[in-house]
Amino acid sequence: MKKTVRGTGWCLLLLAFVAFLPGVGAAAEKPIVIGAPLATAFLYGWDAERGIRLAIEEINAAGGVKVGSVKRPFQAEVIDTRDLEPGVPVSEALLGVEKLILEKKADFIVGGPVRSEAALAAMDLLNKYKKVSILTTGVLTPAYHKKVADNYDKYKYCFRISSHVGVMANEFITLLGDVKKGHGFNKVYIMVQDVEHARKGGEVMKKMMADKGWEVVDMKIYPTGTTDYSVGLSDASKRKADILFLWMDMPESSILLKQWSSMKMKALPMGFVNAAEQPGFWKATEGKGEFLIVNLVNGGNAPAKITPWTMKFADAYKKRWGLEPEGYGTSSSYMAVYVLKEAIEKAGTVESGAVIAALENVNVMGVYGRIAFDKKSHQVIPSLDPEQGAVTSIVQWQKGRRVQVFPPKTAEGKILLPPWMK
Amino acid sequence: MDILVYGAINSATLSLMALGFTLVYSISRLPNFAHGALYVTTGYIVWLGVNALGLGYLPAIAVGIAATAVIGGLIYRLFILRIRGMEISEIIATYAVGLAVIEGLRWGGLRGSTFTLPSFLAGTVDVGGIVVDYQRIFVLVLGAAVFAGLNLFVRHTKTGLALKAIAQDERAAMMLGIDSDGKALVSFAVGAGLSAFAAVLILPLGNIVVETGYNVLLYSIAVSIIGGLGSFGGAILASLIIGFAQVLTEVFLSAHYQMVISLLAIIVTLLVRPSGIFGKQKELDDRV
Repeated sequence: MKKTVRGTGWCLLLLAFVAFLPGVGAAAEKPIVIGAPLATAFLYGWDAERGIRLAIEEINAAGGVKVGSVKRPFQAEVIDTRDLEPGVPVSEALLGVEKLILEKKADFIVGGPVRSEAALAAMDLLNKYKKVSILTTGVLTPAYHKKVADNYDKYKYCFRISSHVGVMANEFITLLGDVKKGHGFNKVYIMVQDVEHARKGGEVMKKMMADKGWEVVDMKIYPTGTTDYSVGLSDASKRKADILFLWMDMPESSILLKQWSSMKMKALPMGFVNAAEQPGFWKATEGKGEFLIVNLVNGGNAPAKITPWTMKFADAYKKRWGLEPEGYGTSSSYMAVYVLKEAIEKAGTVESGAVIAALENVNVMGVYGRIAFDKKSHQVIPSLDPEQGAVTSIVQWQKGRRVQVFPPKTAEGKILLPPWMK
Repeated sequence: MDILVYGAINSATLSLMALGFTLVYSISRLPNFAHGALYVTTGYIVWLGVNALGLGYLPAIAVGIAATAVIGGLIYRLFILRIRGMEISEIIATYAVGLAVIEGLRWGGLRGSTFTLPSFLAGTVDVGGIVVDYQRIFVLVLGAAVFAGLNLFVRHTKTGLALKAIAQDERAAMMLGIDSDGKALVSFAVGAGLSAFAAVLILPLGNIVVETGYNVLLYSIAVSIIGGLGSFGGAILASLIIGFAQVLTEVFLSAHYQMVISLLAIIVTLLVRPSGIFGKQKELDDRV
């Protein structure tokens, strides 16, 4: 009898000890499910998944999310929407979102859908199921946040923590203004991919650059999968373009940079180039992608000292996944989970209305500057100063590294010209 | 000059891509819709050989070509042999195998733009004021050499002549003791080997992505239909037509109409000469 009492006592003591271990208490509670509809075969999908998982692992290890009086862990449910793949209809992505909500019982949607057309269509689903969503990757169309602002009651569930074409174009124009002043350049040749955001991006840039006094020599549109850019590059050389402005999200754009380097073109390449965002781009182009200036959309998508959190995130990402933050969608997806945690804890519940109100009042110094949402459009507030808002990351490939060159407040290096342009 | 140089290179690239597809059809009358998948598989095998197994580049290429040829033979032995003669089933089966291979590669994590093969020779050459890299010159020269070699093989070797005999009249060839299935297996393996050869020549120009498999298949079909299914001469002529048409489209119209031009060429060919330029299929009167 005495032995039994003593044994029970030890068991209770052990249970009490285990219950107070960090994270264990939270793990016992019902998890908060984050549904992530992502095109996981593409950079903007797989890096977003890694960002989300990393944040969840960190938060759960630290005890989870405090919802009222209990601590609950996050749990990720990822579904491949395939929406970046050619020929896959938007309805596939919508099915994915619906599956996350109905079958996986997602409490929140974080990540995609990634293709603009799919994300715009998913807004009605989010309204139907009253699910709060934070868009973190892809979807560069300004139509997303305009739709929220125009019909707030219907689309109030939709937030976006990453940037969009309008902001990116202005950043490019500012950067190009500096380059123009510094080097006396005035001719630009635009090459874009034949997809909606790239064509629009090219057209916006064409108009804005013409307004700023640039001579836009030509704009070429290339089909997805193009493997030879010789004719266009040769044309740009003949017309003595100073800047080669690119807007492409296909992996084959690395071929363009290889050819640009082989031809020793006297035009500085810059733009939104998916293939050039990743750390592997250097090897993929055998170093021929050096000097390309590329927009990574959000700060922290390459290592840089933007805020105290940026390098902490970059190091944690490298430790967890074995490589540096990979490109657009990485830091924003990671940050979205932390912002959601903050909002849930302030709301004290996972109920949509309360979380929306809390998200509208979020003010966090995050990986890429101060994170706060516009209360009407639910778009993250951009800035060129990390103290004021979310900053971009425009980097230049220099000696195998992605060196942040814009905005000036966070720049860690100056823009370099290839030796054959000097 | 731009049009001449880039048109010739573009045509050589297209004809190399389509060569294996044309060969298999010309010999065994089998449409290998897994052709694009075999092309992209070679790229990954060579990449793995160099980066994971630590093989030298040339041994990795040899392994890649041999392995793809074996895979081609296996596709014939495991799938085609059972359905040979049922044309729709042949198309469905080969397309399904190709789809499974491409999606399998994607599922296996071979995605993104970081998979590349090095060029054989770095550097460029000035051709009449046009800068062309050596690898593209390689494509042009070796493409022509492969065509010449293949013609010699088909016309002057015992196996080649046997394959030709089967293509002309399979039953008559079998009566003369030629093993039809064995030769068809050889043609499938050689066709796969040729797609592998094209891959190791062309892929160093860019990077290895699974989607390339679909593009290669599409271009191969376009070249074969326009040139006439199973005709080598037709394939060369069709490659020249599409290759130059694409460059002319880019120069005078816009690059994003290139694919439209290829599809338009197919439609026009089917309307004017349904058998293709050098096709030997029965004309409509004979078929009705």
